[in-house]
Amino acid sequence: MSTASEPAAAGHAATEPSAAPQAGAVKLTMILSGAVFALMMVFGLIMRAAQGQWIELDPALFYQILTAHGAGMVGTAALSGAAILWYFSGRHVVLTAGIYWAFLGLFLLGVVLILGAIFVGGYGGAWTFLFPLPALSGGAWEAGAAAAFMLGYVSIGVGFLLYYLELGRQIHARYGSLARALGWNLILGREDKNPPPPTIVAAAAVTIFNSIGIILGAAVLVASLVHLLVPGFEVDALLAKNLIYFFGHVFINASIYMAVTAVYEILPEYTGRPWKSNRLFAIAWNAVLIFVMAVYWHHLLQDVVMPPWMLVVGQLVSYFSGIPLIAVTAFSTFLYVRGSKMTWDLASSLLVLSVAGWSVGSIPASIDGMISVNKVMHNTMWVPGHFHTYLLLGEVAMAFGFMAWLVRGKTISQMGGLDRAAFATYLAGAAGFVTVFLFSGAASIPRRWAVHYEEWLTHDRIGTLFSVLVVLGTLIFVLRFVARLGRSEG
Amino acid sequence: MQPVVLLISLILMAALTAAFWLAARASRGEAPGPKANSKRTGLIWAMTIAGVIISVGSLRQWPHALASTGDALEVHVSGGQWWWDIDTTEIPAGTPVNFNVTTEDVTHGMGIYDSGLTLLTQVQAIPGYTTKLTYTFTEPGTYQVLCMEFCGVAHHDMVNEFEVVAAEE
Repeated sequence: MSTASEPAAAGHAATEPSAAPQAGAVKLTMILSGAVFALMMVFGLIMRAAQGQWIELDPALFYQILTAHGAGMVGTAALSGAAILWYFSGRHVVLTAGIYWAFLGLFLLGVVLILGAIFVGGYGGAWTFLFPLPALSGGAWEAGAAAAFMLGYVSIGVGFLLYYLELGRQIHARYGSLARALGWNLILGREDKNPPPPTIVAAAAVTIFNSIGIILGAAVLVASLVHLLVPGFEVDALLAKNLIYFFGHVFINASIYMAVTAVYEILPEYTGRPWKSNRLFAIAWNAVLIFVMAVYWHHLLQDVVMPPWMLVVGQLVSYFSGIPLIAVTAFSTFLYVRGSKMTWDLASSLLVLSVAGWSVGSIPASIDGMISVNKVMHNTMWVPGHFHTYLLLGEVAMAFGFMAWLVRGKTISQMGGLDRAAFATYLAGAAGFVTVFLFSGAASIPRRWAVHYEEWLTHDRIGTLFSVLVVLGTLIFVLRFVARLGRSEG
Repeated sequence: MQPVVLLISLILMAALTAAFWLAARASRGEAPGPKANSKRTGLIWAMTIAGVIISVGSLRQWPHALASTGDALEVHVSGGQWWWDIDTTEIPAGTPVNFNVTTEDVTHGMGIYDSGLTLLTQVQAIPGYTTKLTYTFTEPGTYQVLCMEFCGVAHHDMVNEFEVVAAEE
């Protein structure tokens, strides 16, 4: 049985998987990710303070910051997740460094285009670029700014496709087929002397569903770009919305499913129990492969002209996709941790927290996935309430945990005072921040409003205070990582 | 509905958080026993059965069901950047209302709020489509229509209102 804790021996040949694959490129990516996470959190803090009327912000600038925050957070979650997956996949397959650098270069080109579109061109159409809003700004931005924004997405998408092409190619070369890498031999009870380790199962699944998502996203991006150039070229708005939400939903979920490989690979070093692929694990990941693509209809539950069966599928899959997460990933984490006598340093604490945050965040998401509940919760603050739970306390915590592990040195030691303070600050800030969002959603406060009514200000101001804590905790994590970069990973 | 949804969510979230907290504390305790995986099987079955019950219960009556046109008042609502046009300003309480919602430009979301700023119901307004929503108002008063889908730089200004009046005897 392959395990998550069997990196290839040191002194490997260039054609063998590496114990620390392309660590320099990955560390650079994590520096960039940490810096952008911090900046985007400051943007979030500014928006909450503006909604609470503690600072004045022109609505046009508010919506530009909203757009940057959304695109920046989703993009950086995906970037950090991709770096983690690349790093740990490199323990099992040989990956070409040049492809990673091309991916990173295209990503940075996309960032430049997106930031230019927003802060030079004035684009503020939200990260979801809902057709035909980019072309109909009401005078707030020109078509060129919207085009630059979408070309930025195209650049990032091309980079990701290159990344997945390489990952899929090398997995295929090592395991013979993506089906075997998905653990189908385990599922079907066939003998497999070299079954795929958890990271490879995850990599195979994400390669498939995120490639499909990006290709469909590219289709709607191209159609939107043509519409900008030739306004007479019309696209069905509902079809475009389906494509956008398929792409967006799959892409942000892929970031978590890539980053969770840090849990599979790092936690065993602490617990002494290898995270193994088995039949249940393989079934769960194959279910995820289907669920991630079938669940996006829960974003369209109030688009009542959709075929009813699609909305029903959206509700059902919203709920049932919680089973592999809670009964497999979360439950396995309980079993690995229990009685392990593990050392709780910053890395292990953040990684266990990340599974908790991801799982806990799925609860309000699933409840919002019920059509009857969605009628009074859709596009209220409830929505950022649940997705900030599984991102801030899930994917981002995974990324920070991975960063802490990368620079932890050769030995595992208990958390020091500063680490303890940073962890507590981040946890308290994030938990409070998302809880306020949920209370705000229950109070019917709409999301994405630059100007709030007097009745809503208390929510906004408490949320602002918690977001200060999140920013503080993040700054310590990122600065600590940069200061310790000279240390080698564990 | 919202307070109940919040309460249930917070209870479930707290329970799962407590499970993680106990698991972390148990890292110093005993290793999992041989029955651990049977507990997992039980959890999978419990979540599956609960899911079936919740799904059937919540979907048995279709949440987007419309009142028949013979019984309902037809109200047409049109949205655009950044306004709502409502063709009826006074709606009788107790009568089902079929809202027919259209947009002249981008996607909007028609959210109906009561005087206490509680969201009662909503539907998306999609370019090229007429979306329909049924709601029966029980209390007379002033109701607001707020935009629930981000639609540009004055999204937060896209507000209108209508009156619900007591039904005639």
